[in-house]
Amino acid sequence: MNNLVSARRVLVVEDEVMVAWAVEDMLTSLGYTVVGPAARVDQALSLIENGSVDAAVLDINLNGEKSYPVADALIARGVPFIFSTGYNKTSVHTGYLGYTTLQKPLDGSILEKALAELLVPTMRMP
Amino acid sequence: MQNDPDKSGSQKAAEDEVEGFKQELGPFVVAAETTRMAMVFTDAKKADEPIIFANDSFLSLTGFTRNNVLGETFKSFLAPNCDARALEQLEAAFKDASDGDPELCLKRQDGSIIPTSVFVSPVCDERGDLVQNFVSFVDLTKHRQEQAHLRFLLDELNHRTQNTLATVMAIIGQTLRGMADDDLIAKLEKRVLALSKANSLLGAENWDRVGVRDVLDRILAPFGLNNGQDCKFAIRGENVRLQPKVALTFAMVFHELATNAVQYGALSEPDAGLIEIEWSVEPAQGRELRLRWREVGGPSVGPPQHKGFGSRLIERGLAQELNGSVQLTYDPSGFVCEIKMPAPQESVQAPS
Repeated sequence: MNNLVSARRVLVVEDEVMVAWAVEDMLTSLGYTVVGPAARVDQALSLIENGSVDAAVLDINLNGEKSYPVADALIARGVPFIFSTGYNKTSVHTGYLGYTTLQKPLDGSILEKALAELLVPTMRMP
Repeated sequence: MQNDPDKSGSQKAAEDEVEGFKQELGPFVVAAETTRMAMVFTDAKKADEPIIFANDSFLSLTGFTRNNVLGETFKSFLAPNCDARALEQLEAAFKDASDGDPELCLKRQDGSIIPTSVFVSPVCDERGDLVQNFVSFVDLTKHRQEQAHLRFLLDELNHRTQNTLATVMAIIGQTLRGMADDDLIAKLEKRVLALSKANSLLGAENWDRVGVRDVLDRILAPFGLNNGQDCKFAIRGENVRLQPKVALTFAMVFHELATNAVQYGALSEPDAGLIEIEWSVEPAQGRELRLRWREVGGPSVGPPQHKGFGSRLIERGLAQELNGSVQLTYDPSGFVCEIKMPAPQESVQAPS
């Protein structure tokens, strides 16, 4: 496994327990270190406050609560992230359309590629 | 507009004109005055189409008084930022050259906006000259609300479906990891994933038709369809639109074909092979959709030892479910799958 990858800490924000496990498993098997998972916005924000995070995978709808404040906190720190959603991609709030959004259920190979692109510094999202 | 000092004159003229056709058309004017459909007449001899008659329904729809309305131009009752195309349609309709009924928003007296469908009927005099336009409105507020609610329900349903399938994948992984071969788990997860991708495509299209190309794009993405120069697929065909059931079956079939290609066929050796996917709608026997998946440049292939999920799905699923026929050819130079099925009606997407 790539040493650089294994040092990367990826925050998982997902409110459905089993889906969160699956994302954790995917990230672990890709060699990332998982932070979380957080099921709510406040949990995610305190994880961001209290520890270093290199990237994040954010479910947009957390039991009715939107994860955009988490996205804002990540943007403020320059941490790249990926949205995941079970909704149509067109349902992403217009202010966040420039960020990578993956359709749930996540496809391991597509998540791998998306994270790799995010974590190349020159390819960082807008 | 209510404070126009010239109002009284134009209003008077309008009222006189209404009085004129009231006398001529007695019962029809009463009908127009009392119907629940909002209606106005405009003076077509003037360029800005001033309103010369408005019925009670129009007044209650817009909240204006008759004094506010008569003599004012038709356009002064439209909400700002109306759709340009709808305005063109309105102009055409006013000139007795209708090219469809525009949907336009009216501005109410309290500033709120009402979406309406507008019907314009020209009224000509004995010489055939356009003298008035009769304009009626159908309030689309409730229709729009119902549409929005349906959209919301459909989004929720799609979201639930996607989350359920994500959970099924998680259950597979959590149950089998450590107990079963990782390749087997991955195979199972990927089949569920293919199903969920087809569902999400259909969800995005409101469970209406989905294009063959859209299905291929979604299903073949993890197989490197978007890898630019490294792309191992050559795809050719119009975006023929498939019914939901056909799209689901195609999605699963393409997934199985691509998985087989990775395992045994053209994608099993790096840089060796290519997959050509071509289809067309042929006029033969009604209209027939013919699709060919042809692998070239891979290792020599032979028929499979046993028929698993993939070949059963392809042979039986397609043949039975889609009323089509499938021919699988294990040519040493490369595997070929040919599908023939009745083409969906109006199946080619109109150019937008």
